[in-house]
Amino acid sequence: MTEVLSPGTIEEAVAMLAEYGEAMPLSGGATLIAMRNAALVEPSHLVSLDRISDLRGIDRTADGKIRIGAMTRHCETAACAELTGSLYVLRRAAGMIANRVVRNMGTMGGSVANADPAADYLPALACCDAMLEIAGADGRRSLSIHDYIDDWYETALAEGEIITAITLPAPVEAPSTYRKIARVSGDYATASCAMALDPDGQGMRVAIGACGPGPLRDRAGEDALRGKLGEPAAVAEFAGKLVAIADPVDDVRGSAEYRLRLIPRLVSSVLSELTTQKETA
Amino acid sequence: MSLDQPEPIFLGGTVGKSVAKPDNLEKVQGRAEYIADLYRPGMLHGAILASPHAHARIRGYDLSEAMQAPGVVAIITGDDVGEGRMGAFIKDEHAIAKGKVLYVGEPVAAVAARTEEEARHACRLIKVDYEELPAVLSPEDGLAEDAPILHEQLADYIKVFDAGAEGNLCSRTELSEGDVDAAWAECDVIVEDEYTTQPQAHVSMEPCGALAEVDPNGRVTLWSANQSVFRVQANVCESLGLPMSKLRSMTPRVGAGFGNKMEPHIQPITVALAMKAKRPVKLILTREEDFEMVRARHPFRVRMKTGAKSDGTLVARECEVLVDCGAFADDSPGVMGYSLLMCGGPYRIPHMKASGKLVYTNKLRFGAFRGFGNPQVLFAGEQQIDQIGEKLGLDPFAIRRKNMLREGDQWFVGPRIGSNGLGRCLDAVERASKGSRADGSPRNFGLSVTAHISGLLGTGAIVKMLEDGTISLNTGATDIGQGSDTVLAQICAEELKLPFDTVAVASPDTDGSPYNWGTTASRVTYTTGRAVKAAAKKVVDQAMNHAAEMLECDVDDLELREGGRIGQRGSNSDVTFAQISGRAHWAVGGPLVGSETLVFDEPTHDPKRAIALGLPFPRIGVFSFAALGVDVDVDDTSGQVTVHEAWSAADVGRAINPRLVEVQLHGGFVQGLGYALYEEMVWDGARLANPSLMDYKVPTARDVPDAIHTYIIEDPDPTGPFGAKGAGEIGLNAAPGAIANAVAKATGARHVHLPLTGERVLAGMLDPGGPQD
Repeated sequence: MTEVLSPGTIEEAVAMLAEYGEAMPLSGGATLIAMRNAALVEPSHLVSLDRISDLRGIDRTADGKIRIGAMTRHCETAACAELTGSLYVLRRAAGMIANRVVRNMGTMGGSVANADPAADYLPALACCDAMLEIAGADGRRSLSIHDYIDDWYETALAEGEIITAITLPAPVEAPSTYRKIARVSGDYATASCAMALDPDGQGMRVAIGACGPGPLRDRAGEDALRGKLGEPAAVAEFAGKLVAIADPVDDVRGSAEYRLRLIPRLVSSVLSELTTQKETA
Repeated sequence: MSLDQPEPIFLGGTVGKSVAKPDNLEKVQGRAEYIADLYRPGMLHGAILASPHAHARIRGYDLSEAMQAPGVVAIITGDDVGEGRMGAFIKDEHAIAKGKVLYVGEPVAAVAARTEEEARHACRLIKVDYEELPAVLSPEDGLAEDAPILHEQLADYIKVFDAGAEGNLCSRTELSEGDVDAAWAECDVIVEDEYTTQPQAHVSMEPCGALAEVDPNGRVTLWSANQSVFRVQANVCESLGLPMSKLRSMTPRVGAGFGNKMEPHIQPITVALAMKAKRPVKLILTREEDFEMVRARHPFRVRMKTGAKSDGTLVARECEVLVDCGAFADDSPGVMGYSLLMCGGPYRIPHMKASGKLVYTNKLRFGAFRGFGNPQVLFAGEQQIDQIGEKLGLDPFAIRRKNMLREGDQWFVGPRIGSNGLGRCLDAVERASKGSRADGSPRNFGLSVTAHISGLLGTGAIVKMLEDGTISLNTGATDIGQGSDTVLAQICAEELKLPFDTVAVASPDTDGSPYNWGTTASRVTYTTGRAVKAAAKKVVDQAMNHAAEMLECDVDDLELREGGRIGQRGSNSDVTFAQISGRAHWAVGGPLVGSETLVFDEPTHDPKRAIALGLPFPRIGVFSFAALGVDVDVDDTSGQVTVHEAWSAADVGRAINPRLVEVQLHGGFVQGLGYALYEEMVWDGARLANPSLMDYKVPTARDVPDAIHTYIIEDPDPTGPFGAKGAGEIGLNAAPGAIANAVAKATGARHVHLPLTGERVLAGMLDPGGPQD
């Protein structure tokens, strides 16, 4: 039987995780409880983060950044008016996760910690250049989203560490969006694309989801593309670089070949949507 | 309801009215009782150990550790179940694997313990010694000369239907009329292709479950989620060697059955566990087990060729199918034979040849699923009709109208067609769908027509007038949520001219109900409805005789009046059902009971017109007809198809309850949409790769069009109760063909493989004439 513990502070939580080797942190439970019911995980203890008020809320920091507590529910992120312009991509991604029931329970910290490559937050956060705040028994640290994924379902989170918050740069006036290709509404992505234009409309940031262990982002390629968004050949060349770094799998949602085929189509289609938005803005 | 729908004809009673299902309230309140809600004193919980191998000999079991596990009371294996075998067509299936396992997921052992968790835990401690055998994973492999044989004793099995079973061949069917080989020379246009369709899971909201209890005399009471308490009784008794009188089969509410609960699932295992444990046992499958253990829609390989004259007149069609049976015959010989019977579609085609082979493989059994082989062949056939039309410049409506069967025609092989409202179905869909979308953009329109039988086999009804003149109706037909209890009560009330709510419908019970083959084959309204109407008529006749004596007049001078009264014509004097029934119960003649049993007995095969070998249903049913139009969107980026709008018109003879017919058309369309676009059970080697709702996707409310227009066409069948024919399956059949035709319109590419995933459609968009996989 699994025992559920309910710490009131981050320090208590990480201490409990360190004390019980077979313990797992429980945030919204949208994935973890289903996995436990299917006997895919059998933790001795679940350390519920539900009572820790420091993990909640979306705030704007003194320097204008947005700080999202790890226990923020998807439905709160999807409704957050602060997430505009260059950060709208994250709000949009949150609104496309699974279904309303899951969005009412699932949390950003839980989703990022689970690191499902086909889930929606990782590409959106990669597009936003997010930072992760992490706490463990040995103290706190922060980490760029770009250094977070090590391999399939493997992250830089050490045993006993939890994500406490996700920090985003201050939003700027620039269109951004998230596009997801999925078999049915609410499915995990077959492939997804998070994109934000630069405020001057000359460049873009783009992250592709579900086509490798983590989001695909080619920042050097983005730099090289600046000023050439209107040139289809240049955009195609850039998308080709994303295809080259992709490492998709064949699964029930689609073949690896299909995913490779989707990457350039997503890039050009989402780019054209954002460019149109920018022009009509 | 739409303007195009003809006004329903009211008879003054309840037939033709959308009476609300009486069980709606308890379901909305969460108070309806399903298997999961039933408990018996001292009840144990069961769990199943599934085979990890596709094909293996069982050398032995070591149950010692599992028996010592906490809470365990009994364990059964193949050693506990004797030699009995069950099966609707070929008796090839033990209650639980015995001697061999034939698919990954097949039940090998089962545990009864105090809690479900303890039972599941103990299952993991059971050790089975297997000798792995090479597996057959496709029908092609199964027919190979050196293929491993699944059923080594196939020749010795009892066969209710024997159609060439040999080696891994389970059955073969060959049907023909006219002279196809000579007819191709008469054709100006010929289209031919090879198609494949995928396995689809039923995904009933309620997984399969059963609860069994053995009384001190050894008689078994069994509650289970089923579509026929009588098929449950037969299957359990055949597989466990029990006389049928030793088993009482009942059903609580059923959370849908689309064919998956018609033949056995885990009822025999549950009974065997209860007999061994000597305590009541409840066993309910998890969603994953329900995917892996029960049954699914057959994957088909279809080679089809159709020819027509230059004016669009169809001349010939040839259809050859290769069907994956899975590990056990189950309903498969019926599904294959029925698909061939239906492969011509509702058209006049003078020269027809249809043949098929059904092959055992090491996969879960494929079996009955709403549509029963019809959607697979329609996916091929309805595309070919469009292709011929395209070549000849005939639009989809015109070519279908030109060739459709008319009333009085015979169906392929020979069955009589009663009423036929297909032309009116086409009219309704054409009228409603023509023109462009509301925003002025053009439609990507696709059309398919279909016919489906309703009928088959035995049924009965008992109508009892209670002392106060109200009615108890008992048919043994399981209401699986579709509302047959409501419809049958409407038919009964109409015949007796009573208000609907004076008729109580008894829950199916093999002890008290007359035989009913099952809630399947779109048959309950049509066949059971006939029995109900006739049984109610007998009660009316008996009441008339009483009334004649009570009113001292001739029976011929009497009339049945609304609200349960019988009176003299031209006079106000009458007697009530309560007065009549009181007299019958206490004084004269005995209580009023009307009963009727019948079996559908019109021949399928007309030997004067056709040759039929291996025809599974010698007496099949009457025909309902339907037309389905869809307007689709194809996403430029991904190739994904969404249905923008749909128009479904069905000739159901007479809608006893129009709302329930509309719901069948909606539900059938949505299930067909999932089948057409994304539902697919995928095997990774011998193991099902997606046995969960995370990986196997059915359409959600957000994936279906807001507008699914339904049109009820009423062309009453002379044999149906108040003219009614079946409506359960016809809404699904046409979906893959109509959607494939719409996708071809949108992309210019024809597709021969289901489902029409974004991946396939995108490949078609990028290379419309290219090879498909």
